[in-house]
Amino acid sequence: MELKRVQKVEAPHLRVWEALNDIEILKASIPGCESLERIDDDTLHAAVKIKIGPIAAKFKGVIKFSDLNPPNSYMLAFEGQGGAAGFAKGNARVDLTPEGPNATALSYETSAQVGGKIAQLGSRLIDSAAMKTATEFFENFSRALVKEPVEESGSQPDATQPGISESMASVPVQTPPPSSNRPLLIGIGVVVIAALVWYAFA
Amino acid sequence: MTTHQSNDFVGQRFPRREDQYLLRGEGLYLDDLAEPHNTLHLAFVLSPHAHARILSIDVSEALEVPGVVAVLTGEDFVSLIKPIRPNIEMPTYLYTDRLALALDVVRFVGEQVAVVLAESKYAAHDAIELVQVEYELMPAVVSLEQAISEGSPVVHEHVAGNIAFRGEFASDDFATKHAAGKYRLRERFRHGRVSGSAMEPRGCMAVPIRGEEITFYTSTQIPHIVRTEIAKHVIGCSESALRVVVPEVGGGFGVKAQLYTEELISVALCLKYRRPIKWVQDRREDLLTNTHARDHIYEMEATFDERGVLTSLELELYTNIGAYSSSPFGGTIETTGGARQIVGPYKLPNYAYRCYAVTTNTCASGVYRGVAQPACFMAMEGIMDRIARQLNIDPLEVRLRNIVLPGDMPWVNVLGVRYDTGSYQKCLELARERSGYEDFRRRFPGSRLKDGKYHGIGIGNMVELTGTGAPGWRVRGLQAVSGIDGATIRVEPTGKVSVFVSQANAGQGHFTTFAQIAADHIGVRPEAVTVYEGDTASTPFGTGTFASRSAITGGGAVIQAAEKVSNKIRRLAAHELQVEPNDIVLQDGRARVASDPSRFVDFEKLCLLAYSLGKGALPPTEVYGLEATEYYDPPVVTVANAVHIIEVAIDAIDGRVAIENYYVVHDCGKVINPMIVDGQIHGGIAQGVGEVLMEEIVYDEHGQLINASLLDYLLPTALDVPDLSTLTIDHVETPSIDSLGGFKGVGEGGIIGSVAALTSAIYDALEGIGANVNSVPLRPSHIASLIRAARQSAPDPEATRAKQELTAAH
Repeated sequence: MELKRVQKVEAPHLRVWEALNDIEILKASIPGCESLERIDDDTLHAAVKIKIGPIAAKFKGVIKFSDLNPPNSYMLAFEGQGGAAGFAKGNARVDLTPEGPNATALSYETSAQVGGKIAQLGSRLIDSAAMKTATEFFENFSRALVKEPVEESGSQPDATQPGISESMASVPVQTPPPSSNRPLLIGIGVVVIAALVWYAFA
Repeated sequence: MTTHQSNDFVGQRFPRREDQYLLRGEGLYLDDLAEPHNTLHLAFVLSPHAHARILSIDVSEALEVPGVVAVLTGEDFVSLIKPIRPNIEMPTYLYTDRLALALDVVRFVGEQVAVVLAESKYAAHDAIELVQVEYELMPAVVSLEQAISEGSPVVHEHVAGNIAFRGEFASDDFATKHAAGKYRLRERFRHGRVSGSAMEPRGCMAVPIRGEEITFYTSTQIPHIVRTEIAKHVIGCSESALRVVVPEVGGGFGVKAQLYTEELISVALCLKYRRPIKWVQDRREDLLTNTHARDHIYEMEATFDERGVLTSLELELYTNIGAYSSSPFGGTIETTGGARQIVGPYKLPNYAYRCYAVTTNTCASGVYRGVAQPACFMAMEGIMDRIARQLNIDPLEVRLRNIVLPGDMPWVNVLGVRYDTGSYQKCLELARERSGYEDFRRRFPGSRLKDGKYHGIGIGNMVELTGTGAPGWRVRGLQAVSGIDGATIRVEPTGKVSVFVSQANAGQGHFTTFAQIAADHIGVRPEAVTVYEGDTASTPFGTGTFASRSAITGGGAVIQAAEKVSNKIRRLAAHELQVEPNDIVLQDGRARVASDPSRFVDFEKLCLLAYSLGKGALPPTEVYGLEATEYYDPPVVTVANAVHIIEVAIDAIDGRVAIENYYVVHDCGKVINPMIVDGQIHGGIAQGVGEVLMEEIVYDEHGQLINASLLDYLLPTALDVPDLSTLTIDHVETPSIDSLGGFKGVGEGGIIGSVAALTSAIYDALEGIGANVNSVPLRPSHIASLIRAARQSAPDPEATRAKQELTAAH
């Protein structure tokens, strides 16, 4: 399956960038996201709970980044295993473009394949499930942008914000230094995980 | 029914005995059988990949699920079950053995890689979710087109170019005669892949009894073949200690005329654990792992004369047999079937074929109602329609000019197949007269567009090769498909009759029809006869029920055994009444003297003699018992015939096909029970309509089967099949002179005729606008895009008018 989509986020370019750098915001925004784990500079592990029609499964995924062109575009490859529910794999290209003072266009182009039970029973449902998940993600994300002002200097959350520090404690994520573009990529990468899985066969 | 006193129950509309209990919900299907208290349930881990190497399997987490007894993988079965190999002897045939569980490589999505044994089905299914299998992907070959293309990956290393079998034939001096043809046309027909979905999925239960023995309940059409094949494949299984019992079967359609890995595994595990083993599949497994069918490409070139008479036909046929040969029919059944049956009712003088069985990373294909015939007659009738179009002759007239005529009978076709009797001309003429065919041609002399719908009428003129006997299977290379069937008939001490047939009823009404046959030949009423099937402990060996064979082969065996028993009754009666046996007539449970009907003796009295239960004595030349077992080897084939004519109206916008009128004239020789024959035709039509308009197994380019549920694999419902008010069925009876009783088969004719006729009708409706209908399925989306493409590419008057009408209508 192939998919191309542009999502407008109602926030300044820089603000979106910074929020996407915050792995906790992303984790809270992605429906069903259970964990995110940084393995090395180019690799991330994620666990997402998924339900499509009769199939419920936890997908464990690996994301690898490549062809970085900060802050405009990059590529990523994704592979997720859902045990008996099947698998999803593919790649994506992501672009971020400012659209005026308070709007940013996030576009992603994916090509993905799903297999096993999720393909056998879920193909018909993936369209609507994908829409629902994407909508939910961007609602959560926009809400988080308003609620959680991100520090100018980077994504390390303020320890005085109890919600964030608490969840940070449970996830062993070593967030990279603020100057790095990696957090952004991680963030968008997770968005694309959802897209890859949900949009397969759309 | 009470009016029947004499031996003429064959031919009567005798109500099906089965309906009494089936319609009350009292049928006992496999999953209705009581499970012994210590039963273990199986669930299988299925491959999510079409082609991959198995690197590792971790069962540790699965073993921790409460209730799980064991988790076995391919390695565990190496010493339990031999590789499954159908016994096929054909030059060029390459075996593609399948293991009970995959060992190193998986070759289709759904191939079993591990099995869980648990105290409950729930525990077993929970545990399969926890088995971790690590795979290394290999390139997958999915479609027929891909598999035969240059440089395609291969499914099996030893099967070069994915060709597991190639067959060929050419009649004398074919090339010269084909080149000399006056007119010529080429066409490519494509038939998609379908599933012969039965309402009841497959299942089996192996129960150990008396130490070494096993009673094996399985939902199958071929109990004797299954028993022999299990004994051949499961190491340590003794055939005589294995009893195969078939409960009520909720639809077989050929999909259950196969040997399956789960059957072998269940028996092997029953032997290993000495506990009852039960497995019932769900619908997803049914669609993923039960044999698929069809998936053919026909490349054809025909030559013909100015009258539309076929002078030669050249066929190149490709069939997709999936990843492994199914058993016992192997991968050649559809291939040789399509190439050899396509000749049909036509006097084709010159013929050549090359046919190929092609392996792909998909589920194995196997026999399904009609086997290759729905596809090959779709193609052959398509050729007839195109000859008609090219020469501007009426399509029905073209068929009339090509059929085998009464004076030609018995006819031996170009391949050497003998047609003993048939009514091709009579049926076509009757169909023309009774179907409204000519009225349709008068109503639509030109444009087919009326009220926003394209109207068309199509013809399925077909023969059905039925009741194939032993030589017929040998000629197709099949060594494990016997061809014979057997019957044991016993007149019990009280005069009632027990009939044991080697068949396994899967809904065809055997308990009624075999009782009718036995009643006629023994001289009792059918109510005095009880038919037993589907139990290898009580029935003689036989091939089973598939390929429209039961009436001929089972019926023939019943006739033979009944004759033997009734001859003995006549001798005993003659001795009692002091007349010659020839002077005895058996009727209504009595043996009468023909020349003096007032003198008779009741069967009961003769039975007391036969079983030494009274004071009388047997004649000294006789032995005890009133029982006979006979095996019937029917002719090579018995050829039934039919014509289906269907009128359709196709919505010009959404492409939906409505069946306006449906006519069938059928000739299955001597009709045993017209009500059951009608039922067979109704059911076949329902499946044919589904095959053309709705059904298709869809694999994506990676070999993922993406419609493994009945929400996505569309089966026709009562709303989709033709209303009985639009359906007329006429029977013509031309008894076979080769088969006992004059019977010909009828199980598959309904689907064969409907696929050909419905495709022909859609072609007829749309050819005027330049749409070439040459493939099935023809779902609304396919038809709508054909219409759109035709309108865009050819703004002919018809299409322009269509546009105008549409604009006016909206």
